[in-house]
Amino acid sequence: MPLRGTGRSPLQKKMKTLVIGLGNPILGDDGVGWVVAEHVRAVLANQQSSILNPQSIEVDCASLGGLSLMERLTGSVRVILIDSIFTGKKKVGTVSQFTLNDLPDLNAGHSASAHDTSLRNALNVGRGMDVLLPKDENVIIVAIEAENVYDFSQDLSLAVAQAVPQAVRIVLDLIDS
Amino acid sequence: MQRITIDPITRLEGHGKIEIFLNEEGNVANTYFQIPELRGFERFCVGRPVEEMPLLTNRICGVCPEAHHMAAAKAVDAVYHVDIPSTAKKLRELLYMAFYCTDHTTHFYALGGPDFIMGPDAPVAERNILGVIHKVGLEIGGKVIQMRKYGHNVVEIIGGRKVHPCTSIPGGLTKGITEEQRKEIETMGRWAIEFAQFSLKIFNDIVMGNPQYVDLILGDIYTHQTYYMGLVDANNKVNFYDGKVRVVAPDGKEYVKYEPKDYAANIAEHVEPWTYLKFPYLKNVGWKGFTDGASSGVYMATPLSRLNASDGMATPLAQAEYEKFFATLKGKPVHQRLAIHWARLIELLYAAEHWVELATDSEITSPDFHAIPTATPTEGVGIVEAPRGTLTHHYWTDERGVVTKVNLVVGTTNNYAPITMSIKKAADSLIKKGNVNQGLLNMVEMAFRAYDPCFGCATHSLPGQMPLEVTIHDVEGHPVKVLKQFVD
Repeated sequence: MPLRGTGRSPLQKKMKTLVIGLGNPILGDDGVGWVVAEHVRAVLANQQSSILNPQSIEVDCASLGGLSLMERLTGSVRVILIDSIFTGKKKVGTVSQFTLNDLPDLNAGHSASAHDTSLRNALNVGRGMDVLLPKDENVIIVAIEAENVYDFSQDLSLAVAQAVPQAVRIVLDLIDS
Repeated sequence: MQRITIDPITRLEGHGKIEIFLNEEGNVANTYFQIPELRGFERFCVGRPVEEMPLLTNRICGVCPEAHHMAAAKAVDAVYHVDIPSTAKKLRELLYMAFYCTDHTTHFYALGGPDFIMGPDAPVAERNILGVIHKVGLEIGGKVIQMRKYGHNVVEIIGGRKVHPCTSIPGGLTKGITEEQRKEIETMGRWAIEFAQFSLKIFNDIVMGNPQYVDLILGDIYTHQTYYMGLVDANNKVNFYDGKVRVVAPDGKEYVKYEPKDYAANIAEHVEPWTYLKFPYLKNVGWKGFTDGASSGVYMATPLSRLNASDGMATPLAQAEYEKFFATLKGKPVHQRLAIHWARLIELLYAAEHWVELATDSEITSPDFHAIPTATPTEGVGIVEAPRGTLTHHYWTDERGVVTKVNLVVGTTNNYAPITMSIKKAADSLIKKGNVNQGLLNMVEMAFRAYDPCFGCATHSLPGQMPLEVTIHDVEGHPVKVLKQFVD
């Protein structure tokens, strides 16, 4: 993974960006978010001292959704979520990028949700409580089309594993932008 | 089975698919509730040191990792034949009470409660936590967030990290708590008691104060006469962490009470060709199909089951609510499934009270939180009450403590048969002579949401809804109507 430059001074990176790899690290391709986040963390660790303000970027891995994920996003202005996606319509390993605004409008609520509310709903709840949270358009999702998200395994499918470098590059570019 | 997904969705939380088949008269002949199952967990665990299980199993499910951590910790203690110190048990239980407060709060305010607080006929766009905040007031949102924060804090203090605790090891815990941490935990627990009382007041004012809702709860549509299961202490009081499994019959009398290690002598699993999930039932009663009554081995394991299967709550305020519950609903056991929501809030109060009891226990800051195991590991069973049902972990190891076999009966699986029955009953009442009541989807959702089901065991989800599709087939099996929620 080549080191990347931002072309911006630490003082210019005042906006705190939180990068979270989402998923279950023992559920096959569902763990790809963690893998990408770990790579991003490693790249940043190599270049952060000279280029980025350490206070402005935080990288983490989590197995959260809904209210719990909203609580994790507290205090962040901009968030990059890295996650597996299972549409069944795209080639396995395809990397997509969109914001929370681009997700289907499921703001109608929990309805059939088994356990929590949607992230968008959860963010609205938090904002209603004056919690500092990113705007929906500042919640950017980098998603990798998955193949196996039902079998326990610590291994990624080949096509998903091959997509990791591309996803890492996209996340780093987003951090730079 | 046709696979339907939301596009884009990053992870299915569990995809509910309901098939309804009609008979010649256009009435319901059969219903099938299918959900996906995660596979290969046993294979994943075999060959690993058994002490890893409390860390691995809390990754099975993103909804109740703390419950899996506790069941696994107890099973590993049993594998090593070690009695953990009293302080270790109390610390684990204290963590667990805080988790219960978080989990029950989330269900009531984000999931089950909106059906009542907003009303079952309210537009789906309003039946969510935002709707609740709008109706009850802004302060409720802050309280819910505060309750969840306190719960997470206690889990982090005792369990080493939020949501996915990591401190339980064979023989106890890796660390204890300081007096300063104890005080902090006590303060948060006292706030939790007030919050639980506040929540019960909301339920009393808005739900029990509305004759329409009371009729809905007491009506036949969500009523089944089944057996009920729950862990009880030595006094037959509800216990989430420890004790014996008690089962009462539909008439409320004790049917059996057994040690966790004897679960396999009491529970068997029925297989149906249309689903991968199995249906646990009472082995010594027998599987008689999806049917009520004392001759059917179908049992339920939920907050309501725990109240039915016990002789009371072990804390004073929750005990008073327990008595009010059965007095109001006129009899015990209570068979009406929608009463699970009320039972859940009584459990919330118990968990908060017990949280404070444990936080003020003189042993809780003792450094005696671990006993070194010395026996050769073999096999062991750990049972706790997960918020959504009795949770059983059973591990076998070789003499080195390396896992050779695993068996889990997870909370919601216990309820697969009763949920299936409730869905059929809701469909029965809303489909007559081929006419499908437009409220069908809502009423079916209410039927299974009361159980707080957790089938997908996914760790997260964006956008977070469980897609649901109901397909209705005519007598020849042709689909005649499809109702969808969150399915593209």
